[in-house]
Amino acid sequence: METIFSAKAWATVWQYRATFLNGLINTLQSAVVGLVIAMVIGFAIGLMATSGRRGLQAVARVYVEFFQNTPLILQVCFLYYALAYSGVRITVVVVGFIALGLYHGAYVGEVGRAGIQAIPAGQFAAARSQGFGYAQTMRYVILPQTVKIILPPMVNQVVALIKNTSCLYIIGGADLIATTYNFVTGASTGGAYGPAYLVGGLLFFLVCYPLSMMAGRWERRLKARDQMQKGGEQA
Amino acid sequence: MIKLKNVHKKFGHLEVLKGIDLTVEKGEKLVTIGPSGSGKSTLIRCMNGLEEVTAGEVYIDGHRMTHKTRAALNRQYSSMVFQQFNLYPHLTVMENLMLAPVKLKNMPKAEAQELAMQNLKRVGLAQKAQVYPTTLSGGQQQRIAIARSLTMKNPIIYFDEPTSALDPEMVQEVLDIMVELSHENITMVVVTHEMGFAREVADRVVFCDGGNLIEQGTPEHFFTNPEHERTRAFLSKILR
Ligand SMILES: Nc1ncnc2c1ncn2[C@@H]1O[C@H](COP(=O)(O)OP(=O)(O)OP(=O)(O)O)[C@@H](O)[C@H]1O
Ligand SMILES: [Mg+2]
Repeated sequence: METIFSAKAWATVWQYRATFLNGLINTLQSAVVGLVIAMVIGFAIGLMATSGRRGLQAVARVYVEFFQNTPLILQVCFLYYALAYSGVRITVVVVGFIALGLYHGAYVGEVGRAGIQAIPAGQFAAARSQGFGYAQTMRYVILPQTVKIILPPMVNQVVALIKNTSCLYIIGGADLIATTYNFVTGASTGGAYGPAYLVGGLLFFLVCYPLSMMAGRWERRLKARDQMQKGGEQA
Repeated sequence: MIKLKNVHKKFGHLEVLKGIDLTVEKGEKLVTIGPSGSGKSTLIRCMNGLEEVTAGEVYIDGHRMTHKTRAALNRQYSSMVFQQFNLYPHLTVMENLMLAPVKLKNMPKAEAQELAMQNLKRVGLAQKAQVYPTTLSGGQQQRIAIARSLTMKNPIIYFDEPTSALDPEMVQEVLDIMVELSHENITMVVVTHEMGFAREVADRVVFCDGGNLIEQGTPEHFFTNPEHERTRAFLSKILR
């Protein structure tokens, strides 16, 4: 076992830099596809949860509670083995996309629900009084206002999703965590724990930190604007 | 134009409208008055289907108002001005006015824009066409909301306490526009506590209390010799 300062360990990591980058690319790929699936599911869940229809709301609730209250890593395993046993031939990568999409779909759905519910009832009333139906009310009046509110929490979801690709290692994924883990336990590369984990962590950080920053800045700007408007109304 | 037949409305166990029969003629200016919580807003919101009636029927120009027909009937017949204005904050003033005519009535953009501009001039706010509504005062927002209603070109406009959320110095500018509108052939149903407005504009005043229409008549009748004790008590309170 090498220490974190071992030049030899760093040299090995550097030698295998392409492996790490490849892991990062796989992670980002899983994150992007997972995000697209999560957005589609979340959009549907958010609309169902705010539809005012008991049946649809119940379905949305059950979905959200189920996926939010069991560990992602268990869902990943379950999906993988369930699919494998039912004879569906599907790659680990695709299982990863689906698992991440289903899980984060629940969170995106909650973010969407909160965003829609934050729009004052008067906006719905105004649109309906003009003769907009449900879909048009959503499209022209409610969702454009919702999008602005939910952008910061959505970006935070993206960050969480990127980090959660690490759960895919358990089914033998080729994401950054799996790559790093294989590297430090590999026969020819093993031992360079410190440097390898540092590099893996740094790569995650380099992707996630700018996103978090962006979300924070966005949120502060929205708050400032709200303050200004409130001030304006009083004036 | 508007016909309510034995309209009941319950929220859970609370019965807010207890069997309302009311007909509003084309071009009529109807002013609804009554104490807080008496069901005035609910009454008006049943007329344009924002609330679904629990029992009874609402007809607009002979067409039954249901949750299925609401969109089509509102599109064709009515607009509403709210106490809280309810302008669309993500759209400019001009876009607020043009949205429904363009999307719902297939009005060509150029035509909608011209009509919107006319109506903005009418409420004295043509210079605000390109700003966002939240930058405007309450009085200005409400005048924009009236212009938005006019741009629908519909025969009915509902007003639910259009001046109640305004600072006192802005009430008159909104009332002036409503008085001016009343000279047109628009059917106006107005919930208000502005008795001066009622006196000047109303063809008929109805007094609503506890979910019933207690009394109706000309403004003349109301302000000289109201019949019911409850009406008198209410008027004496607000005319003080
Ligand atoms: N969506 C709702 N859910 C439950 N109760 C409601 C709802 N809307 C109105 N109510 C109740 O119905 C009653 C009548 O309300 P409404 O708003 O029609 O009265 P109003 O005459 O317009 O009063 P105000 O002058 O205060 O506006 C009130 O007791 C109110 O609390
Ligand atoms: Mg009211």
